[in-house]
Amino acid sequence: MSARLRLIAVLALLAIPSTVCAAEPAPKVDPADAIAALIDKHLSADWAARGIKPAAQTDDAEFVRRVYLDLIGRAPKAPESREFLDDDSPNKRALLVEKLLTLPGHAGHFAAVTRAAWLPQTQSNFQLANAGFQFENWLRMRYRDNTPADEVVRKILTVQFNVNSQNPMIRFVQATGTDPDNNTLVGFYQANEARAENLGSAVSRLFVGVRLECAQCHDHPFARYTREQFWEFAAFFAELNPLPANRPNLVGPVQPQSDKNRITIANTEKRVVARFFDGTSPEWTADRTPRQELADWLTHPENSYFAQNAVNRMWAHFFGYGIQDPVDEPGDNNPPSHPQLLEDLGKAFVTAGFDNRALMRGITRSQAYQLSSKMTHPSQSDPRRFAKMNLKGLTPAQLFDSMVAATGHREPGFMRQNQFNFNAQPNNPRSQFLNRFASNEKVTEANTTILQALMLMNGQFITDVTSLEKGEVLGAIVDVPGWETKQRITALFLSTFARNPSPEELEKFTSYVDRGGANNDKKKALADVFWVLLNSPEFLFNH
Amino acid sequence: MSMFRNLDRRHFLRAGAVSSAVSMSGILGQLAMAAEASKKKPKRSCILLWMNGGPSTIDLWDLKVGHENGGPYQEVNTTAPGLKISEHLPKIAMHGEQLAILRGMTTKEGDHARGTYLMRTGQLPGAAGIQYPSIGSLVSKELGDPKAELPNFLSIAPQRFFAQEAFGPGFLGPVHAPLIVGENQAFNNNQPANMLDESLKVADLSKPKSIDDASAAVRLDLLREMQEDFASGRPGQMAKSHAAAYDRAIRLMQSDGAKIFDLTTEKDMIRDKYGRNLFGQGCLLARRLVEKGVPFVEVSLGNWDTHGQNFEQVKNLSTTLDAAWSSLMDDLKDRGLLETTTIVWMGEFGRTPKINQGKGRDHYPNAWSTVLAGGGIKGGQAIGKTSKDGTTVEERPTTTLDLLATLCMALGIDYEKTNPSNVGRPIRIVDKPCNPITEVVA
Repeated sequence: MSARLRLIAVLALLAIPSTVCAAEPAPKVDPADAIAALIDKHLSADWAARGIKPAAQTDDAEFVRRVYLDLIGRAPKAPESREFLDDDSPNKRALLVEKLLTLPGHAGHFAAVTRAAWLPQTQSNFQLANAGFQFENWLRMRYRDNTPADEVVRKILTVQFNVNSQNPMIRFVQATGTDPDNNTLVGFYQANEARAENLGSAVSRLFVGVRLECAQCHDHPFARYTREQFWEFAAFFAELNPLPANRPNLVGPVQPQSDKNRITIANTEKRVVARFFDGTSPEWTADRTPRQELADWLTHPENSYFAQNAVNRMWAHFFGYGIQDPVDEPGDNNPPSHPQLLEDLGKAFVTAGFDNRALMRGITRSQAYQLSSKMTHPSQSDPRRFAKMNLKGLTPAQLFDSMVAATGHREPGFMRQNQFNFNAQPNNPRSQFLNRFASNEKVTEANTTILQALMLMNGQFITDVTSLEKGEVLGAIVDVPGWETKQRITALFLSTFARNPSPEELEKFTSYVDRGGANNDKKKALADVFWVLLNSPEFLFNH
Repeated sequence: MSMFRNLDRRHFLRAGAVSSAVSMSGILGQLAMAAEASKKKPKRSCILLWMNGGPSTIDLWDLKVGHENGGPYQEVNTTAPGLKISEHLPKIAMHGEQLAILRGMTTKEGDHARGTYLMRTGQLPGAAGIQYPSIGSLVSKELGDPKAELPNFLSIAPQRFFAQEAFGPGFLGPVHAPLIVGENQAFNNNQPANMLDESLKVADLSKPKSIDDASAAVRLDLLREMQEDFASGRPGQMAKSHAAAYDRAIRLMQSDGAKIFDLTTEKDMIRDKYGRNLFGQGCLLARRLVEKGVPFVEVSLGNWDTHGQNFEQVKNLSTTLDAAWSSLMDDLKDRGLLETTTIVWMGEFGRTPKINQGKGRDHYPNAWSTVLAGGGIKGGQAIGKTSKDGTTVEERPTTTLDLLATLCMALGIDYEKTNPSNVGRPIRIVDKPCNPITEVVA
């Protein structure tokens, strides 16, 4: 972090109140800087306590590639890398982040990643695929508008709809009201099959950070939640599971909600009333629905679950591991690696008004985010200490978009819109890639399969983009008149790795090309080099 | 002829030495032959014939002729006395003494996604957040040789869109993922012959024609150096997995094993016998893979979701199934492989006994059939009985876990053995409670 930013952060921590120092108000601190300072303070204290030596800071090339991938879902093109590397401004990294946040690719990337995390079933069950696309559209608009996280969740929880259950095989969720946004928003409910128990599971896992699912059928084996608590939470969505026609006679005064906050535990006769799983209940009144009560409870500034869960998931996006990991399985056997950091970040997020971009700025400004992924000391080996950046796999979309950026591949608009939809369209390279690389592995444990390796080595797409006749970027680099081989090699590296080759690499590849490669043909030798770079792990991973 | 020449000098020298030594000394030659023989020792294999869409088993294995739920088909005798099946499976009927028909299947999942997941993993989807492996991954892990040239689990023409994860390795990890061929061709069951041949090959297995051998070899050398440089600064599983996948892919490209996928080397007469369609040729490929020692192969046949016009469609599918499966059994028997190859036939659920207004049948998990045959199975019998109208199981109700446990027993696998899951909990190969049908296990 630059000296100027560090100074501001220090001033923020001192936070001289304006009543004491009457002359001037305390300097306004960018919440992002406060967040960055928190991160670095806690992590460096942890390293010091454990005798951990953190990795080196990223050089500009490592940083530019990483932040493009993390923020807009693709690697930078050669001119973009070149511009950043050549820029002399002292705070160019923060400025780059600002620029990336405004690009449409940012909203698209975050919408895709968030949807995959929140509704994984839409990518493994084709009957739910449409609901996934719907909801992702809604998310894209929220990221475009930078809707605060609490408002996002509030809208999800309180959207009005009807459930059409005429067809017993599939229940349709239809938005009501006049807001057209709601039509895409209800995809969230559709993707969960409009069942209260699925919504209860999803909401607790995604927005509270507590996985209750085990308790759906029996008391949770490892955590403290009972089956009854699961169903009490699901009861906030009771309107989705209508009670049977023959109901037992009610004894006593009718509750304000009547049956709207009551649900029957599956396979039993027992009915429970909606209750938060910390044991508290809302003060039920007739004019507020259970979902509204849930939204209020969940997004209340003092609900540390919500803020910490949101922060944790954002952290996992940038660092590969959450502070609590897996992000949806907190419990006694899965404590956070830095509990105080998580708590403080939660509070900072609330103070920042649940502004996602403030959190993204804060994280990317931290020294910890800017650590290299290259291990320089064995004490960096535990990924949970964040003493180096964790290697992350690319999503299929990130991979293909980075391929497009590196190779100049041109595709028609309808192909560019293509998303994974279970069937690879022939003659559509994007579709083939998305299909072949689809996986639901953890991003820090991504594995490569044989079929993926074969596609990257021998597939039609890679053959085309590395051919002298068809490859756009390759063709341009090979044909520039007047360039030395060194310059062409450098251009190839910039296109693929966003960096200049090291002196050893430059020497090795330049002499390879000047010798003519395997066929005494310099142009073909350049194509060989391009193929090698595109198949390298340095291209295929986010490091 | 290998497609790449490894430019490693030591490799060349070693290869040259062995070939010259064999020609000079009889001893080395005999050792080589002994090594070959031990490689040919019979291994256990499993073939899963997966029927996608919910096959109408009441019209295949457990007919209710004469009842209003029976439909127009008649029964035929099989070579097992008393055992009758659909008239549209006449060639399979000749293998009656090999078949153990389980007529008491009863499961609770009538939804394609959930039913597929349940039958293929033994579990319900999403249960406790655990990514359950498909039976193919579980079995191939137990029976397979990790150093084998070919992957141990092959999936031919799967239609994964109902339940993607039910075709994967789950928590067992990508080493146990199936190698998939013929996918996305599954809707085109009848294709022109050369398209069919191409679709059953491993995608992208051959290097592009525009790249000559020398260039290809040099590219790989340069790539290996990049991989090593990267891994040296970033130790850990991801970089290793990348390098390992490339190595396995290259090995597959260079191996003789890859020739298995070239069906043009089979006689036309044989290919015609199996049926010149995706499923038929898929079964032929399965036989070749089992001959090569692959422990788990699955072949999918789709379009069984006959909500309307059930009898026309099932007749067509039966004909396809009949030709392919009977040929498979014939060939395995001729090669002495039937005793070591267990075949399991199943779909995600059966279909309603009551015929609907569209002359179709709808989803029905309550009473249906699956079939086991071949190695480790005492055939020629039916276990389990349904009511006269086919709606309920009256004798020997059989669950998914019962079936999978029986399959494991037939294969000689201990189904109580556990594997560590993605949440840390050890998970049995087949969960309990399960009551394997020991009457059909040899």
